[in-house]
Amino acid sequence: MQRSSWLGLAFLSPALIVVFLFFLVPVVLTGFFSFTNMSTATGVKGGAYVLNASGLRALTDAGLPKSTLEQIEGAGYRVDAKGLEALALDFGKPVAEEFAKLHEGEVFSKRRDVERALKDLRSNPIRKTRDRKQAADLFKRSLMNERFDSPTAFEAALEEAGIPETDRPLITEVAYTGWVWTTDNFGFLFSLDSTWQYAKNTVIYVVFTLSFNVLFGLFLAIATFYLPAGQAAAFRAIWFLPRILPPVLYIVMWRWFTWDTGFISTVLSGFGVPPRNWMLDTEFHAWTTIVLINGFVGASMGMIVFSSAIRAIPASMLYASEVDGASRLQQIWYIILPQLRWPILFITSYQTMSLLTSFEYIYLATDGGPGGATEVWALAAFHTALNNYGGNLQYGLGATYALILVVIGLLASLAYLRLFNFRNLLVKPRIEG
Amino acid sequence: MKPNFRNWPVLLVLLVFSAPLLIMLAFLLVDAFTTKVPGTMIPNGVTLHHFRFLWTDLDDGSWGIWGVTLNTFNFALFTSLAVSAISLTAGYALSRLAFPARGFFLGSLIVLHAFPTVTLIIAIFLILQLLGLYNTLIGVIVVKAALELPFGIWVMKGFYDTVPWEIEMAGVQDGASRFTVWWQLVLPQVQPGLMAILIFSFLSGWSEFILPMVLAPGTEAQVLSTYLATMLLDGGTQADFNLFKAVGLFYALPVAIIYLIFQNKLMNIYGGGTKG
Amino acid sequence: MRISIENFTKTFGDTTVIDNMSLDINSGEMLALLGPSGCGKSTTLFAICGIHRMNGGRLLFGDRDVTKVSSQKRNVGVVFQNYALYPHMNVYDNIAFPLKVRKESKAEIDRKVQEIATLVHIGELLQRRPAQLSGGQQQRVALARALVRKPDILLLDEPLANLDAKLRLEMRSEIRRIQLQTGITAVLVTHDQVEAMSMCDRIAIMDEGRIVQLSSPKEMYEDPSSDFVAGFLGNPPIAFLEGSVDEAGFRLANSEVTLPVPAGITLPGPGSAMRFGIRPEFFQPDNALKVKGRISFVETQGREELYDVTLENGAVLRSIQTQGGSYRVGDEVTWGIAADRILAFGPDGDRL
Repeated sequence: MQRSSWLGLAFLSPALIVVFLFFLVPVVLTGFFSFTNMSTATGVKGGAYVLNASGLRALTDAGLPKSTLEQIEGAGYRVDAKGLEALALDFGKPVAEEFAKLHEGEVFSKRRDVERALKDLRSNPIRKTRDRKQAADLFKRSLMNERFDSPTAFEAALEEAGIPETDRPLITEVAYTGWVWTTDNFGFLFSLDSTWQYAKNTVIYVVFTLSFNVLFGLFLAIATFYLPAGQAAAFRAIWFLPRILPPVLYIVMWRWFTWDTGFISTVLSGFGVPPRNWMLDTEFHAWTTIVLINGFVGASMGMIVFSSAIRAIPASMLYASEVDGASRLQQIWYIILPQLRWPILFITSYQTMSLLTSFEYIYLATDGGPGGATEVWALAAFHTALNNYGGNLQYGLGATYALILVVIGLLASLAYLRLFNFRNLLVKPRIEG
Repeated sequence: MKPNFRNWPVLLVLLVFSAPLLIMLAFLLVDAFTTKVPGTMIPNGVTLHHFRFLWTDLDDGSWGIWGVTLNTFNFALFTSLAVSAISLTAGYALSRLAFPARGFFLGSLIVLHAFPTVTLIIAIFLILQLLGLYNTLIGVIVVKAALELPFGIWVMKGFYDTVPWEIEMAGVQDGASRFTVWWQLVLPQVQPGLMAILIFSFLSGWSEFILPMVLAPGTEAQVLSTYLATMLLDGGTQADFNLFKAVGLFYALPVAIIYLIFQNKLMNIYGGGTKG
Repeated sequence: MRISIENFTKTFGDTTVIDNMSLDINSGEMLALLGPSGCGKSTTLFAICGIHRMNGGRLLFGDRDVTKVSSQKRNVGVVFQNYALYPHMNVYDNIAFPLKVRKESKAEIDRKVQEIATLVHIGELLQRRPAQLSGGQQQRVALARALVRKPDILLLDEPLANLDAKLRLEMRSEIRRIQLQTGITAVLVTHDQVEAMSMCDRIAIMDEGRIVQLSSPKEMYEDPSSDFVAGFLGNPPIAFLEGSVDEAGFRLANSEVTLPVPAGITLPGPGSAMRFGIRPEFFQPDNALKVKGRISFVETQGREELYDVTLENGAVLRSIQTQGGSYRVGDEVTWGIAADRILAFGPDGDRL
């Protein structure tokens, strides 16, 4: 290999590491996660084995024999080191030592048997019945709420408790608190009515916002092209602001503009219209605001791209068309618009992609409201996995939502690659040394 | 252009559509510094009360505005430095150096450039948890820098492409290694590109909201966007918009300054398109 | 330093640009690589300086095989068409750069820079930035930077192409003066035959990756090996008459007119195609071998007049004349060709 190859790879390696860690791995992991039931409850790392009340309920529902269930709840009384230690602490060392000598390792199935054994102690019997009961309880062993770190330890405990071998796998599965592989997410996702609602919302969102972006971006670019330089610069500066302002501040302004204490309400109250939240009071208003909020930002991108494309048209061409007697509209239709074919295609494809996946402005403005009317797919993914009021974040299900967007994104990006003249990009380096 | 048509209908349409923006911007400035009788739009007094967050704690559990501002500055600065540094070398490699699988890397760059990174946030959230970088500023910086990187490399490569090959050939003939040629002869030619990326990624980091919100929701790593968003989203109907606007103005001040200085340059970079 | 290119082959992807080319350049000689664009002359130059690697063959500087040696270690100075001055450095730093890279001492660098600046006459420009220099001055700085480290070989890639006509004349002689004064072996790449003829000891004329002819400018002009070479050299260019071999000698196409064939050439078989090349200075009113035609174009160049004469069969001959000026378009003339200066070319274009 040439020396410049080494230099090239060395120069590229920091970028490769970063890209690997935060693009490649996440894309693959989104796929993996969507096949898990990961959630706040299961945690992200591995889990432990614990049977709790809800687990028991699940087992009951699964039709586990009643005897087995009872065995789980009351796995008997075991004279073990742990119990003896507690006994020594509560009733003195000699009691514990004697009890250990006589019964260590034994298992009693009923409390009464333990009590009798305690009563039968020769030198240090526990006199009071109440105390004996208490002492016996120290040896009570149950599988409930006991934490095991590995499946083998849990299975061993089941075996010790005498639970039939046929029931054990099911109990182990239920007891596992970590996440497991599953394909249920996909079926579940499409069984929900809300999923289809999200898809519909997304289409509304993308179609209307995109139309606004492209059409108004075109209008801005062409209008500022014909306006006197000063006015044009002023309008460009104004329309560039939504893009450059931090999104949160931008939304603060919109909320102020539309909310019940805000601009529209205040002005209209002068005409006797009662104040209300113009952003959230109806679905139609919510959508209008969302489209405008995103559209004002998106149109500026169209404006910039189209403006530079228009400026690239040779002035002589425009002069020629004027000399040929074309009106302003004819000039726009026959000269300018044909030149904007590629920029329009670029903006359309690029913004379709970014609108499909963006949720920042919607989250800040309506958060999907009112009543989920503006909940788009990307926002649903975000809500499911990362931010909801229920508190149980379903990473796995959220990843399933996201996976669909990732796949669309990847396909679209590959299509994008074809749009570019990739051959031109592949010019060989001219120094070969 | 010769005035063979009337401008005023176009101007009128422009003004109508621009009105919401103009009103929002005007009242952003006005409301932050004035008081009003509720239910009217006309200010009746000048005040700095809305800026009280600068010298008193708002008692909302946040970390104090100056700590948050420092976080934001660090976040934006280190993001921008990381993106610039990595783009500077990677862009050169892709533009000028011959190495195996170069075509593949160039293609990947375009794909990455177009790829909607926000879809990866769930996986990234989980990765940061596994790496132990969840809820740290460093974690968010690393992720933000990574997501900005394809754009940075793309822009930087474009700048490298415009440097004449002959300059490099001359350097090689003069006896300099490819590294020296890059460092001493090529880098000075792409300074505008470096500036562009520094500014762009600084602004992008300064404005970023989703990543800090998701990846570092704790108070320790709070930045101005999440600070303001928390106010806004927790405000409910009792929202104190005057306060929000004052905070917003304070937040947007560096952006406004950079915008005023670099307006034209910025328009060109944003033309390359990242958000929207 | 002598340069030997042996069986040089260069391919870009699937296209072979240079195929099995050999060329020897003598020590201290200035050689022009002349040819139309795309003929491979720049590729050859880039191979000599090491920017392009050779796909086949060897390259020797003196006795040293440098085929695999990197550009940095070949000690070749190059002047590029756009000069490739480093825009962020002033003239002094530009010239000093090769020395700094070699980590020479400050005093040494200063001495060498001053010396070379005097040689190329830019002593007073050292503190200027390249952008503040005229084209000719930039050219001199580029020369100084290429020469300051005393390279074994100087390569010039279209050095005059970016200059206006007047400066080009000046720099032509300047480059030659500096080359002679330093005694360096130099290779000039150009598509301009005047440059090649006026500046160089020898010319290698190239076409489609091959060297068509290698000889001194005068020899090449008077004794071209093919119609390509004859057509490439000379301004105004040579005129060609198409025709075929006849028992009387050379018969013009579509015509009964025949011309005698110059002595001492072997004709191809009767009927095969042949071309005569006649330079404008050898088609004059006084010459013996008369042909009839009509003046179809007159171009006044001041000292000289250039006439196009269309013969009866439609072929055009050119004549350049210093005196006269009495002819007009449409005049019927019967002028003569200097029979001993006719260049005859066979069907494949090769000189007969």
